[in-house]
Amino acid sequence: MKHKLFAALALLLIGSLLLGACAPAATPTPEPEPTVEAAAPTPVPTEAPTPVPAPKTLTIASGTDIENMNIHLVTSSPSFSVLEHIYESLFNMSPEGELKPLLAESIEATGEGLYEIKLRQGITFTDGTPFNAAAVKANMDWMLNPDNKAPFRGTLLGLVTEVSVVDDYTVTIKTNGPFAPLAAHLSHGAVAMVSPAALEKGVEFLAENAVGTGPYMLKSWARDEAVTLERNPDYWGDAPKIDTLVFKVVKEDGARIVEIEAGTVDVAVRIPPVEIPRLQANPDIELVITPGLRTIYIFFNVTAEPFTDVRVRQAVNHAIDKQAIVSSLFNDAALVSTAPFASPIFGYSAQEPYAYDVEKAKALLAEAGVAPGTKVVLYHPTGRYVQDALVADAIRAQLKEVGLEVELKTLEWPQYVPTVRKTKEEGNDVQFAMLGWGTPTMDADYALFALFHSTQHPPGFNGAFYSNPEVDALLDEARSTLDPAQRQAAYAKAIEIIWTEAPWLFLYSEVQVTAIRKGVTGFVIHPDESLIAQFADKQ
Amino acid sequence: MTTYILRRLFLAFPVLIGVSFLVFWSIRWVPGDPAIAIAGELATPELVAQVRMEMGLDQPILTQYGRYILRIIQDGDMGRSVKSNLPVAQEIIHRLPNTLILALTGLILSAVIGIPIGIFSATRQNSWFDGGSMTLALLGVSMPIFWLGLMLMIFFAVLLPQWLGLSAPVLPPTGSGTWQHLVMPSIALAANSMAIQARMTRACMLDVLRQDYIRTARAKGLIERLVIYRHALRNALLPIVTIVGLQFGTLMGGAVLTETVFAWPGIGRLLVDAIGFRDYPIIQGTVMVIAVGFVATNLIVDILYAYLDPRIRYT
Repeated sequence: MKHKLFAALALLLIGSLLLGACAPAATPTPEPEPTVEAAAPTPVPTEAPTPVPAPKTLTIASGTDIENMNIHLVTSSPSFSVLEHIYESLFNMSPEGELKPLLAESIEATGEGLYEIKLRQGITFTDGTPFNAAAVKANMDWMLNPDNKAPFRGTLLGLVTEVSVVDDYTVTIKTNGPFAPLAAHLSHGAVAMVSPAALEKGVEFLAENAVGTGPYMLKSWARDEAVTLERNPDYWGDAPKIDTLVFKVVKEDGARIVEIEAGTVDVAVRIPPVEIPRLQANPDIELVITPGLRTIYIFFNVTAEPFTDVRVRQAVNHAIDKQAIVSSLFNDAALVSTAPFASPIFGYSAQEPYAYDVEKAKALLAEAGVAPGTKVVLYHPTGRYVQDALVADAIRAQLKEVGLEVELKTLEWPQYVPTVRKTKEEGNDVQFAMLGWGTPTMDADYALFALFHSTQHPPGFNGAFYSNPEVDALLDEARSTLDPAQRQAAYAKAIEIIWTEAPWLFLYSEVQVTAIRKGVTGFVIHPDESLIAQFADKQ
Repeated sequence: MTTYILRRLFLAFPVLIGVSFLVFWSIRWVPGDPAIAIAGELATPELVAQVRMEMGLDQPILTQYGRYILRIIQDGDMGRSVKSNLPVAQEIIHRLPNTLILALTGLILSAVIGIPIGIFSATRQNSWFDGGSMTLALLGVSMPIFWLGLMLMIFFAVLLPQWLGLSAPVLPPTGSGTWQHLVMPSIALAANSMAIQARMTRACMLDVLRQDYIRTARAKGLIERLVIYRHALRNALLPIVTIVGLQFGTLMGGAVLTETVFAWPGIGRLLVDAIGFRDYPIIQGTVMVIAVGFVATNLIVDILYAYLDPRIRYT
């Protein structure tokens, strides 16, 4: 009996040890990660005759893995960050908001709603397929085909009706009416150029493979772990200095901070505001604060009491101390809004923020006949935007000061969007609600049209049900001309009207806080949240 | 024995069916629409409706469930991930070994340390060792995994290298691939189980040590080592095996947190991400795999009983 017991115990122990020992071999052995050590400037042994420069690796701790490799189908900025090193678009929006040709050479309006684009010559995809007009048409047609369900088809190419090849390096794009922001829309990663040969292999292939014209090529993708890119030796532009880029997935904020402190990564994104002082104190780390493209606001339903009266809307704007919110909840890692969208976006025109003035707010409310103690319901999401629920609560507390009793309705994001986008017929009873709006095209059209044009009431995103014929006319005008000065003037006028009529409680724009190890240079954080390592170097 | 195993396997079937239906039904009860997740926040209601139709979400829940089960039985097809559009089976198989390695390492670590501590504490009841180890165990039980994980990370990757004057971290803070990557996550994961096993072993041993036959054994002059290891431990082992077995299930669950903190690419993290994205097929598939793990462990524990306790016979 004793023997039996011991045999069983021994078996159990040996079995578990064996399992433990064998287990690692059973993993799909990920490539030993080329971590920073590989590139660390270890003192070179003396015998080395010609000092071959050590291959350089830059590791970026990103918060989320990419969705898949198909740039036409992904929607998140972490995905675009990776894929825009492999794929390029016809145009490029610089971090400064300057629109430049990239794979295109020029764009010209050749008629009403007719745009001719000349393409750069002598570029090939990494599979050897030449980049030409046929490639552009193949990509655009794929995007435009509703069966392919490209998520950005509507927002980016909604007005494009036809793409035709003129000659090998010229295409014409026809739009439904004049559409000035076309080039800005074509600068978006979602309309980047994929090798037509790869495109033909279908979505299954493109979900895991990437064939573009960019400075880097896909080396490996270990799902949920890391995407590794290597330099494209035949890149048509300036060769990048970093040989290998690793986008390492580190979801947990705390873990990303440990990684950058330990020096196991070179860049860590999305540093939470509370950790700013801690990292600022670290001499090995530089904190970079970049204005973002997302503005957080609260829209008033201008067709629902008490916000039908402009004085009430202005009063709320005066009642909120935006600077205090930004300082206390964000450690100043946010910018008080001076327009309905963020400053890097084309068409921006700064307005004077509503001054924090409790007395004025009270007076305006009294004038509008809103009795103290009036109840209002504020909808807000939680966990969608940085500190969103805390901001909503701060607003509740501050509005109490001027006599408005705010009830908070907190919803999770997947439930929130359909609620605030209900039509009148579906029983939209939202009084005011918090939202954020990012403008990836960096053009005011994207930032204003969907939010303030009277044709965009819910289920569109004009949740305020705002409607002003003058604003409509200005937004239409800016959409129809390519002349930047005229567009800028139209937007400035529209913004001024919107600012005064206050269909929103204007809050703040987000900023991105990124930690970079000293010694890394040329790393760019685009306002659209893309990370650009193409021009980076590392000592 | 064989009949017993077969019967247990047969009984596992309704359990799994029940679990799968509960999961299937309950995640549809949670607010949030995967069609919106897939079509994008900016999508028109028409597109969302179309996506819902294509995903079969417009059908009654029983029809959806029936189709789901039928596909699994017929083709072993668990559907495709909403987020990545890859087959669910592929997504899970890719990550399952990572979770198993972590859970097994955690289990071995907790048993190898927890059980001896329990035995020593019991034999030296009320000594400083007993008091110290049980206080530590209490700490272990009450420490949240993610907090312990971050503390370990700061210690091994930032503080320790600083004190030792090293340029590289002692252990890599996150990721996977080498044994070094495994150290911190398995400690974080094992801490809780280790504590439970230590306390459980101690309690069982104390119980057994008070029995008459132990007194008899001592009275007949047997040396203490034999009393404890041959007579006491063997009898205390039965409930301990149960706990260790059940801990394996708990560890697979705990892997959810550990994997998130340490960026460990296992099914726990897959599940967390999937819940955030309302990725129904992945949620269903992952929970099923964990349920199968639980059922299998329980079965193994039951079979082990027969070996450990000759009184138990299965017919």
